[in-house]
Amino acid sequence: MAQAFLLDLGRCIGCEACTVACKTGNELPSGLSYIKINEQVRGAYPNLEGGFDNHRCLHCTDAACVSVCPTGALYKEDGLTRLDRDACSGCGYCVESCPYEVPVLFDGLSSKCDGCKETTEAGGIPWCVKTCPNGALEYGEREEILRKARIRAEALRAHYPNAQVYGETQAGGLGVIMVLTDDPEVVGLPRDPHPPLMAQAWQSVVQPVSIGAIGATAVAAGVAGVIARRNHMAEVKELEAAEVSAGSGSEAEEV
Amino acid sequence: MTVVTSINKEEHVILRYRRTQRSVHFLLASSFVLLLLTGLVLLWDPLGFLAAGGASRMIHRFGAVLFIAVPLVYLVTDREGAKELVYDSFHFDKDDRAWLVHIIPYVLGHAEEMPPAGRLNAGQKLHHAAVILISATVVVSGLLLWFFKSSLGETGLAWVVVAHDISMLLLTLFLVGHLYFTYVYKAISGMTTGWVEEVDARLEHPKWVAELEAEAAASASSEGEQPPHDAE
Repeated sequence: MAQAFLLDLGRCIGCEACTVACKTGNELPSGLSYIKINEQVRGAYPNLEGGFDNHRCLHCTDAACVSVCPTGALYKEDGLTRLDRDACSGCGYCVESCPYEVPVLFDGLSSKCDGCKETTEAGGIPWCVKTCPNGALEYGEREEILRKARIRAEALRAHYPNAQVYGETQAGGLGVIMVLTDDPEVVGLPRDPHPPLMAQAWQSVVQPVSIGAIGATAVAAGVAGVIARRNHMAEVKELEAAEVSAGSGSEAEEV
Repeated sequence: MTVVTSINKEEHVILRYRRTQRSVHFLLASSFVLLLLTGLVLLWDPLGFLAAGGASRMIHRFGAVLFIAVPLVYLVTDREGAKELVYDSFHFDKDDRAWLVHIIPYVLGHAEEMPPAGRLNAGQKLHHAAVILISATVVVSGLLLWFFKSSLGETGLAWVVVAHDISMLLLTLFLVGHLYFTYVYKAISGMTTGWVEEVDARLEHPKWVAELEAEAAASASSEGEQPPHDAE
């Protein structure tokens, strides 16, 4: 069953409690953080508006990072994008392919939020959700989360006419359903990101076709090689026999 | 220019590849296999675990340096050989074209009826030409992935990876063909000891043997003088 986060930017107060809980709960080393909160200030005094952009993995259904990962270190599970750092080769293709610029190389290996795999499998809820003091974060089944997000967006429209749900369809549907107070561009989110077609073709078409072509050619060459070598040996034997009978007197030069 | 004793009449063998050429070939072959194996772990899922940690990438880059060094090493150690290889591989005469038309019996092990070939038959020329050109695309795309990965953009990166993969796919198919003909025409000695059986050379490269004999005759008649090397 697909799980998802709810992230209500209308309720985020930028307190960084989630950042800290994520770091301590997941025992992230110094210098590594899976959530970054950026304060946004828009407009000119005295007509200032603002909010807090949460930069974190959005767990795309059509995850570009997963489609380009050559080792399977990045993979989808329960609607979330997991990362097995032990399987990562550090190629960095995910870093270049993510439309939200989320994964980073840390100690030479890809690093990003894995939806608190260990914690949730042990029956807990993700650290960021658990610690949020203002109800900006929730975690649960995606359908339920979507329903809640729509209700929240609807309620916000009284104050923010452009309030909307983000993540229902983007990149195949996100595993982090966001409630925005304004259009996606205003908070710096792409309206409709798609992983480039080539990025999908590369792992799902080019690679299996390559492996298949090499394997089939090798097998065909092996079989044909045995037959062709036999043919060639026969023709050389014939030639040598002809040479011996023809060149009994002179040098074996005339072929 | 010392090409004189490339035919050994006593043992009926002919020198096909000099030591420098065999060394360059070994460098090319070993670096290619190293690159193929360390690349394959990223291409084929069941081998993916071998790429974990990134050691295979370091070996791949080491192999890449050797691979890129191949043409330079050839030019430095055997300028004539390198020039001859490139020239011959991109020049097809009338016999070569006829040879290509009749390629199927040759593939099946029948060399006897083939139009006469020179030092390289038309198949080898095509093989060399393709390897030279595709090596260029594999090297360029590889260098882009090594040094400019983060400035290609997500679409650009995907294109370059696909170009790198397809180039390597083609080179690997050419390698399969290369091993195939080496086996069918028991040609391995040319690259191990450098010498091939005279009977094989006469059958598969008659124009080349005739050339060598003409050179040998010329140098024998003009004893002591420098044999003219650039015949034709």
